[in-house]
Amino acid sequence: MQELMVGFKCKGCSMLHYPRHARCLRCKGTVFEEVELGDECKLLTYTKLYALPEGIEMTPLLLGIVEFPNGVRALGQLKGDDIKVGMRLRPIWGKIRKLGEKDIYGFRFEPFYSPQ
Amino acid sequence: MRDVAIIGCGMTKFGRLEGKGLMELLVEASLKAIDDGGAGDRDFDAVYVANFAAGELTHQTGIASSLVDQLSLLPAAADRVENGPASGGSAIKNGFLAVASGAHDLVLVVGGEKMTHVDTDIITDIVATLSQPETEYVHGVTLPSLVAMFTRLYMQHHGVTERHLAMVAVKNHANALKNPYAHLQKAVTIEGVMNSVMIADPLRLYHCCPISDGGASVVLCPADEAKNYSDAPVRIAGFGQATDTHAVHERENPTVLKAVQLASKRAFEMAKLMPGDINVAELHDAFVILEIAQSEDAGFFRKGEGAKALEEGKTALDGELPINPSGGLKARGHPIGATGVAQVVELVWQLRGESGKRQVKGAEHAYCCNFGGFGNNVVAHILERM
Ligand SMILES: [Zn+2]
Repeated sequence: MQELMVGFKCKGCSMLHYPRHARCLRCKGTVFEEVELGDECKLLTYTKLYALPEGIEMTPLLLGIVEFPNGVRALGQLKGDDIKVGMRLRPIWGKIRKLGEKDIYGFRFEPFYSPQ
Repeated sequence: MRDVAIIGCGMTKFGRLEGKGLMELLVEASLKAIDDGGAGDRDFDAVYVANFAAGELTHQTGIASSLVDQLSLLPAAADRVENGPASGGSAIKNGFLAVASGAHDLVLVVGGEKMTHVDTDIITDIVATLSQPETEYVHGVTLPSLVAMFTRLYMQHHGVTERHLAMVAVKNHANALKNPYAHLQKAVTIEGVMNSVMIADPLRLYHCCPISDGGASVVLCPADEAKNYSDAPVRIAGFGQATDTHAVHERENPTVLKAVQLASKRAFEMAKLMPGDINVAELHDAFVILEIAQSEDAGFFRKGEGAKALEEGKTALDGELPINPSGGLKARGHPIGATGVAQVVELVWQLRGESGKRQVKGAEHAYCCNFGGFGNNVVAHILERM
């Protein structure tokens, strides 16, 4: 089963956060509920990184910032050849890199194909 | 609060300084500033040492304690100040507040970093740890990758072209040729910059500052005692500091450097000056796009008009607001902990009229912006001739 990315909604003022903060950025509340960010987002900007950090297998490393329909943004690795600002993407869970000896998992974003 | 003056300043050459360790750089810069301030025989109340990563880069900690011992300034209060690439600005601010409050009378601020002996990959990783751990660093983010994504947005929304980016580099390299302390002493051309190797599309090698060693230092005292030390003291007219979200993607408008806006606004309010009063500025051009963006967010040009001002020569050495006469981080170099102090040293020389071939004529008010992390902690200072 595909997990979905989650954001953190302040119980006090409903502001959505990603990542989590100890206190809400708007009202300083400390109680949050996890909310799913959805399976579709839009690419705001990206880069192809040629000077790679250790443990990254993708050359060049595609990194982008996406925005979900609820306004929450996230940064992550991108998959696909024909990357364009504004394109629709979806978060996919998987191994993103090695850090030291450890495999690190997280969400990366790949082109979103509408069901035919 | 008391008015505070800078009575002495000095710096080492910036560059690949083989055979010189961090402590030697800090000592050399400190002694130059102390001598310049005519305070060689004086006891200091406090020493603030700006440094980003001595533990990681040079395997030495407690460097402020070590430095006061080297300089025979015992038993002065001594602290290391770490605020990433804005460590220097933060250390100057701490020194300023200590004197302004009346807690201390004579304060030494020195910044330094020893970097060039370490592999570039390791340095890139140490700098990358400035980013948000769970939502940036872990995905492979490095500072250049954040800057690249910012650059792409800026080009899309604010009329910045590849040519504009190159023009910043060309200007700052040309200025550095007139600065004997600068790391990179060579002219570059628009074509040379535009054809340099891609680091993180659209960011090219010549859009980035070099990795450098170096130290810089200033001596502070109450303004009403400044004439006892120096014929040409410079007043710290204002400072401002502001922070922004750690994760870049959480910023309301990702092309606005809000901490630069707020820090600058606070500095101008304290100095009772307007951006139009400034005659010379040192901006934190670790990457060329930052000079354009900061020139707007600091208030010198409207958003989207920084590139035009650059193109019209307004920010050139003979323009209406010369930016980075020293060569900036781009060409003077960027020994991280030293940078914020070196910006102030350059401006003191400019205000005293001691900048030689890169002198901005008749400068009376000067501004600098020291940019920590990717703009999540920014310190601005305004200096004026007394
Ligand atoms: Zn809230």
